Amino acid sequence: MYDAPNLETRVTQTNTKITARGVQVYYGDKQALQDVDVDILDNTVTAFIGPSGCGKSTFLRCLNRMNDTISNARVEGEILLDGENIYDKRVDPVQLRAKVGMVFQKPNPFPKSIYDNVAYGPKIHGLTRSKAELDEIVESSLRKAALWKEVKDRLGEAGTGLSGGQQQRLCIARAVATAPEVLLMDEPCSALDPIATAQVEELIDELRASFSVVIVTHSMQQAARVSQKTAFFHLGNLVEYGDTSHIFTNPSDPRTESYITGRIG
Amino acid sequence: MTDATSSQVPAAAPSPARSSLLTQSALMKKRNAAEARFKAYGVAAICVSLSVLAIMLWTIFSDGVSAFKQASLTFPVTLDADALDPKGNRERAEMMRVTTIGYTKLLNAQLLAHLEARGISTEGVSDKDVAAFISRDTPARLRDMVLEQPELLGQTITVEGFATGRIDGYIKGRVTRDTAALDTNISVAQLDLADRMQDEGILDTKFNWGFLTNPDASDQRPEAAGLGVALIGSAYMMALVVIMVLPLGVAASIYLEEFAPRNRWTDLIEVNISNLAAVPSIVYGILGLAIFINFAKFPQSSPLVGALVLTLMTLPTIIIATRAAIRAVPPSIRDAALGVGASKMQTVFHHVLPLAAPGILTGTILGLASALGETAPLLLIGMVAFVANYPAGPLDGGVLDPATALPVQVYSWASRSDPAFIERSAGAIIVLLAFLVTMNIIAIILRRRFERRW
Ligand SMILES: Nc1ncnc2c1ncn2[C@@H]1O[C@H](COP(=O)(O)OP(=O)(O)OP(=O)(O)O)[C@@H](O)[C@H]1O
Ligand SMILES: [Mg+2]
Repeated sequence: MYDAPNLETRVTQTNTKITARGVQVYYGDKQALQDVDVDILDNTVTAFIGPSGCGKSTFLRCLNRMNDTISNARVEGEILLDGENIYDKRVDPVQLRAKVGMVFQKPNPFPKSIYDNVAYGPKIHGLTRSKAELDEIVESSLRKAALWKEVKDRLGEAGTGLSGGQQQRLCIARAVATAPEVLLMDEPCSALDPIATAQVEELIDELRASFSVVIVTHSMQQAARVSQKTAFFHLGNLVEYGDTSHIFTNPSDPRTESYITGRIG
Repeated sequence: MTDATSSQVPAAAPSPARSSLLTQSALMKKRNAAEARFKAYGVAAICVSLSVLAIMLWTIFSDGVSAFKQASLTFPVTLDADALDPKGNRERAEMMRVTTIGYTKLLNAQLLAHLEARGISTEGVSDKDVAAFISRDTPARLRDMVLEQPELLGQTITVEGFATGRIDGYIKGRVTRDTAALDTNISVAQLDLADRMQDEGILDTKFNWGFLTNPDASDQRPEAAGLGVALIGSAYMMALVVIMVLPLGVAASIYLEEFAPRNRWTDLIEVNISNLAAVPSIVYGILGLAIFINFAKFPQSSPLVGALVLTLMTLPTIIIATRAAIRAVPPSIRDAALGVGASKMQTVFHHVLPLAAPGILTGTILGLASALGETAPLLLIGMVAFVANYPAGPLDGGVLDPATALPVQVYSWASRSDPAFIERSAGAIIVLLAFLVTMNIIAIILRRRFERRW
């Protein structure tokens, strides 16, 4: 039915990185997510798919407590990172976000130079001791984000002056630079051309070696290509979660099947 | 041709109603007409405001520019040692005994002697009326000079001093022979003498730096009055207002915008800030009088109290402008900073504030401009007083010395009777405008520097 090119990708690691139990999210009185239970594995790419407005971004933002910044958002339930509840009163979300990096749906580089964009995270977290080390991190992060070749001669120019796709890769480099344990990516490729998309997908696969990646995507092909685990959301519910190969070839829920087939035809 | 082309398109429905792009439809014409009308309104509005501005500037400048020039008398004076130092011991204390009256007599006599020597007829003008040419300011200055440098006694020096306001007015065209005939302070014969003295170069108009540097002067000598004290007072106040209002306003705005929870209390504060921005400025003057002068016992007429009152007055404006500037920073920038693990404070200071800085500066400069031009609250705290001494330097507690401010000086001169003061009032407005333009230029330069970074 659907020929996923990457079906042989096996889940090599089974350590659970993030455990979510009974997560409910409300925006004011409106419930956006109901009873989400999911185990996100380490060294694994997990894809969140589902129709627009089903709560993918909402759940992603729960994982690094970015929902704290929305005044009327309320999260219930438990989310454990390496067994520690990130919604515990003692957890400082700032410290959490250094471990759980994020790339947003819309590219949002700082209105500073390309270099400063990437160097900002390492600087505030004190990851480097010298300028040379910082230069090193900036270069390797930009290389990982497949942007180095395009910008290496103009690191001092404004990050906002790049094209949309380049900006998104800059944001990826910025997230990678802080060496997070989990990287959350909200439709990172929606502004990219096929070549850049392929590069980013390659990057995601590389990143898997060092940390857990969660990616929201509207492209079934992308989900199939890059992820080992897939979660299908619908109307605020986590309908189905399992191995990507399983979800795409043999979904157990009719909603999953109709979504996958409906979108791909 | 058109027919041929359209008939060659068989696929399109051969609707006769298909309109050509070359002719405008009735609806399109209507829309274009509406747009043209709107543009015309806009141009008319701009023309009206520009012409009002032009008229205003023209009246101010035509009335005020003359205040920067002043008629002066130049003639040699032999400083008679016997008259000015009767004891002959050059002791300062002794010399102080000779008041300005003594110097006036000396100057009067010397002017008469000079006129005679130059062969200028003083026909029809009494000696007293010739003496009336010399401003009362001149003997006072000469006395200060002699007390300062007693070695000048016995020498002949060239004295340059103001002519009185009426003579100045005659040279500037404010006083004519017709008005002089009705004026008890000046006679037509004096004007004739002024003409002759002008021909001989004794009477001359020069650029009057004294207008910018002198303190205010009494009603008897408008020619000596200047803006020195008012300029210092305004400069002190603006500096103090910036120092006080920027940290307060920016801190309050950041807290309210980024940190404060949204609840009934913050709503209440918000409403109150908006209301405070609309409170008439004189109310702040009453508040300042009650709190800073009557309760805290700060000195009256001091720039410090003025600045405190103006700070209170501009604070709401600046908070409103700063909050708007902070709110205009796209939320995605905050998300980005928080997303890489910046704390809230780092997010604000590293990313939000630099982006809001141009807006904050614009708001601040608007607030300062209104503070600079504010008169009413300063009247209430006594800054309208006649201040003849310069306040001390800023580090010597000058902000506690009595001073006036530019708009107050405009007001107090405009309310005096002598036309020479009215002219100076218009001149002071020009200085006020120049002060304002300078402040705006500084703000624009600063803003450019913030904006040009990206
Ligand atoms: N800040 C907010 N305030 C109120 N409701 C919100 C807010 N953000 C999201 N929602 C609502 O929550 C639901 C889930 O939104 P979410 O952004 O998670 O969808 P999504 O799955 O990411 O969609 P898309 O694929 O279009 O990005 C939607 O119904 C949306 O209207
Ligand atoms: Mg989304």
